[in-house]
Order: sequence, then structure tokens, then C-alpha cells
Amino acid sequence: MRRLLLSILNTAVALAAAFAIGAAAMWATGYDPVASYSAMLFTPLADRVYLLSALAFSAPIVLTGLTFAVGLRAGLFNIGGEGQVYMGALGAVAASYLARNAAALPLAVALGVALAVAWSAVPALLRIWRGVNEVISTIMMNWVAYWLVIMLVSTVFVNPLQPEESIKTPEEARLQPLVAGTDLTLAVPLAYAAAVLTYIFVRYSVWGYRISISGQNPLVAKAYGVKPERALLLAFVVGAVAAGLAGVLQVVARPPSYSLARNLANVYGLGFDGITAAMLGRGHPLAVALAAVFLGILQEGARHMQIEAGTPFEYVRIIQGLIILFLAIQMLRRP
Amino acid sequence: MTELLYLLALQALLASVPILLATLGEILTERSGVVNIGVEGVMLLGALAGPLLVDYMRLRAGLQLPEPLWPLVAMLVAAAVGALVGLIHGYISAYLAGDQIISGVAINLFAAGAVAYGIQAYWGVAGYKQIPDWAKADPVPVAAFSIALAGLMWYLLYKTRAGAVIRACGESPEAAFNVGIDVYKVRLISTAAGSSLAALAGAYLSVAYLSVVTKEISAGRGFIALANVVFSNWNPALAVAGAFVFGFFDALSYWLQTLGVARYEITRMIPYVATLLIVAGVIGRAKPPRAVGKAFRRE
Repeated sequence: MRRLLLSILNTAVALAAAFAIGAAAMWATGYDPVASYSAMLFTPLADRVYLLSALAFSAPIVLTGLTFAVGLRAGLFNIGGEGQVYMGALGAVAASYLARNAAALPLAVALGVALAVAWSAVPALLRIWRGVNEVISTIMMNWVAYWLVIMLVSTVFVNPLQPEESIKTPEEARLQPLVAGTDLTLAVPLAYAAAVLTYIFVRYSVWGYRISISGQNPLVAKAYGVKPERALLLAFVVGAVAAGLAGVLQVVARPPSYSLARNLANVYGLGFDGITAAMLGRGHPLAVALAAVFLGILQEGARHMQIEAGTPFEYVRIIQGLIILFLAIQMLRRP
Repeated sequence: MTELLYLLALQALLASVPILLATLGEILTERSGVVNIGVEGVMLLGALAGPLLVDYMRLRAGLQLPEPLWPLVAMLVAAAVGALVGLIHGYISAYLAGDQIISGVAINLFAAGAVAYGIQAYWGVAGYKQIPDWAKADPVPVAAFSIALAGLMWYLLYKTRAGAVIRACGESPEAAFNVGIDVYKVRLISTAAGSSLAALAGAYLSVAYLSVVTKEISAGRGFIALANVVFSNWNPALAVAGAFVFGFFDALSYWLQTLGVARYEITRMIPYVATLLIVAGVIGRAKPPRAVGKAFRRE
């Protein structure tokens, strides 16, 4: 209990410090911090449609947050969520290309998740067989995915009527808004259910235990008869399923476009938002989901900030960087 | 044919400069026991800070300087900004015993936001700004400088007392501490110096090599530099060869694109795929400094 209170307090301090420095940066670059923060933090809370939109923004961040959080438990710094989201979205678009009816939905999930898992297998196997640091390999895979998906979306899967985006998910295969007039679809409850499932998996299943013990100390794991390589591989795969699903849902469950933008705008950065969510939630799946709600509000709020106060949308990422910097100070390395 | 090969070699050399500078910086940092995976972010910040600050000095503050000095000033102020970020990372890593990887990730996220925000806030354009002619630098002297620096760094690390002290902090901080070395200070300075080189690499990209600032200008080169640190086995002399190899694939990518051999999306993948293959091939042999990434605490 004391530990929980302490970590809540620490997180609050990190948030306060980050927002304070962020305000100074805003002021120094000629924007109004008061107007910006009020548009960013209060506008989304003051209106039901905006709040539901913030929740819609949070759904993929929950999933990519789980990707990073599960990796952390295994002692991995898996920053490949970004590329795996692209691959998941690619799978969903490919499914719409192959099936022009309701079958596109299950096909999208299957293809998207399969592609994301295949993508994560490369850094996983390189790490296990060759000892390659996953930070470098996952970033390289992210860039390869970036160009691969851009190429396919602008050629095979291009929408001839709207060349700035991919072909759309067939009408029957789309997840429609649960509340009319909002972006909130089944993606949101699904993402939060995934967080609960992940929590049960890492906390109560034997494989979750194997992942955690391998992450804490591979030598001890071996002494208990756990193969750390298998735990690593599993952590990569579980993470890829979550990230792949995030990509699929951004295509099949995101009104009004139900497609992938040619410049990947509707999936870009989700992997990195997930890292922030995972760190804010200190790797605990339920806390990660909570952190994702906060980041969803920031995301929705940033749109209002840009409109109401003129402050560039990219400010969101600056504040995320500052929050993590303050968290890094508090997270002392285990001796 | 020979002329073509010469040209490709020159292109590879120019493409290798940012990777080499960032690698040298990170070697210095890691030799002292601190890992900075924020190299990519520092590079991005340097790419923005150089042109932005000279633009401010000349066009808004009205500072007068002889014309040819401006590009040099751009690189120097970028390096200063990099040193500042390095001081923050070094302070967190050495004095506060914070998590170095998390701090590095924070730098990357912050930089991605700050560069996009900065271009928008300062020039009022979204994500893309051409460098004016008066701020452009010739890349060739910078290339020569980077190679000379590699030699100097090798000499510093292996032939001087200061180098022995830095390496001791990365190999065995307890022993270093016991003979009276201020491990924290050495790590702080090495991190700041290393980070200033990463920012210099970024300024080279915007001011000398590409003549533009974009929000994705570093395009993974910081992480390729991290791969090169391993590839060169933390040795500045070998880093020159490594950077040339990575630079070659970068140059090859643009060549094949110009020749129209394949779609540009495919040629743009080349540096990343090559990095993966190279890293997979050599990593087993590499021996990192023993205490790298581990916080040092006095008992």
C-alpha cells in the first residue's frame, strides 16, 4: 500500500514538473500556456462527444502500451510496436482487398496479427540466436515497415477514388460507432478487455510467471527450469499480437475513413505513445490502460489546443518526453 | 567506370560523416560507463538548433559576422545545444543514478516533438524548412574533420592518462573511485562531450549534407550509429571503417533511387536492412565496457 501511494505521488510529481517546464517552453516560444492548457485538458472533459473521442484515441495506445509493458517484464526494451502497428494496419487493408464482404473482418484480424507477429519474430530471433540488442533491431524493422507499407498503400492497395488513402474496409466488415455521432467503436472496450486479459496472463498464468522471472534474472530462471529464450520469444509474440491488433482496429474500427492514410497519419506514432503509456503505468497492465486514457485526453485536447490557442499539435510529444525524463530520475536501477 | 567508383566512394564518405560523428560521441560516452540511446533525438535537435539559432542571431537579433563564418557558427551552437542535453542525461545517469535507457527514450520522444514544434513555431511552416544559402556549409571539410577526430579520440582513449581514467570509469568504477577518480564527474563530462558530437552530426545533416530541416531528418541514423558502436567494438579507429560501410548503403540507396532501378520506397529500406544484417553478423564478437549502463553508487 505504501509503495502504491509512493508511486502515485512520484507520477504526480513527474506530471507536474513536466507540465511546468512545458509551460515555460510554450511561453518562451510565444504561445499562451494558460489558454493552451485549458484547451488541452479541460475542453475534452467538458463535452461528451470530445470525451468519447478521447477514449477512441486511447484504444490503440492501450494496446501498444501493453506491447511495451509485456516486453519490460521480460527485460526487453521492445520499441518495435510502431512498425508492428503498421504491419497490422497493412494486414487489415490487404483483407479488404481480398474480401469485399463481411469476411474481411476476421480476415483482417488474422492477417494483421500474423504480419505483426512475423515482423516481431525478426528482432526476437536475432536477440535469441545472435544476441542482437532489440533496441537497434526493432527500430530498423520499424523503418523497413514504414517504407514497405507506404509503398503498398500507394500501389496495390491504393484507393482509386481517393489516392491519399488505401481502399476502404467493406461496409459489412466495419465496426460501427457504439454511440451515434462519435468515433467510439467496439475497439475501445476490446482494448480495455485486452488490458485486463494481459493482467491476468502476466500475474496468474505460468507463462506470465516465466516471463517475469526471466526478466528479473535469467540465471535464476534457468535454475527454476525456465528457458529464458522461450520467455523472450513469448513476450515478443504477445506484444506483437497487441500491436498488430491496434493497427487492424485503426483501419476497421475508425470512422469515418475506415482506411489507412497513404502517409500513415492514422497509425504514425502509436507505438511511441504506447511507450509513454507503459512507463507512466510502470508496466502494470491496468495502470497502463489508465495512462492511455490520460494520453487519449491529451491527444484529443491537442486538437483543441491547436484550434483555440494556435499552439502546434506536436507539443503533445514534447510533454511526453518531459514526463518520461522525470520518471527516469525516479526509477533507480536495481543494484 | 573508375570515375563512377570514385564518385560512389565520395558519396559514401559524405553519407558516413553523421554516423561517424555520432558513433565517436557514443563511444566516448559508453567508455565512461553511460549509455545514451537518445543519440537519435540529440541528432534531430542539433539539425534544428544549428540553422534556427543562426537564423535568429542574424535575421532577428541583427548580429553581424563575416559571411563564411555562419555555417561554422551553426555547427558550433548545435554542438553546444547537444552538450546541454548531454549534461542533463549525464546528470541523471551519473549523479542521480536514474535509469539511463528510460532517460534516453525520453530524449528521443522530446526531440521528435520539439523539432516538429520548433519548425512550426519559429518559421510557421509544417515540418519542412529549406536552409538559406548563407548558412550552407561544404560537407568535405567536415568529413575530413570527422576522420581526424576519430584519430584524436583513439589517441585520447588509448594513449593518454585522461583516456585511461575514462575507460576505468566504464570498466570498473569501484576501482576508479578507490584510486581517487571522481567517477560522476568523468561520466558527466564524457556524456556531455559525446552528446555534443551527436548534435554536430545533426547540424551536418541539415546545414551541410541535405540543406533542409525536416522533422524526420535523422531517419534512424542515430540508431545506426548505436549499431556502429557495437560493430566497431567501442574502438574509434574501427568506427571509421564501420561508418563507411553504413554510409555506403545510405549512398547506395540514393544512387539506386536516382538510377530508377526500383521504387524509392524499396531503395530507402536498404540502409536499415543492411544494418540488421551487419549487426546480426558481427555482434557475437563485440565486448562492451563492463560497467556500461550501470549506475555507480558509493558504498
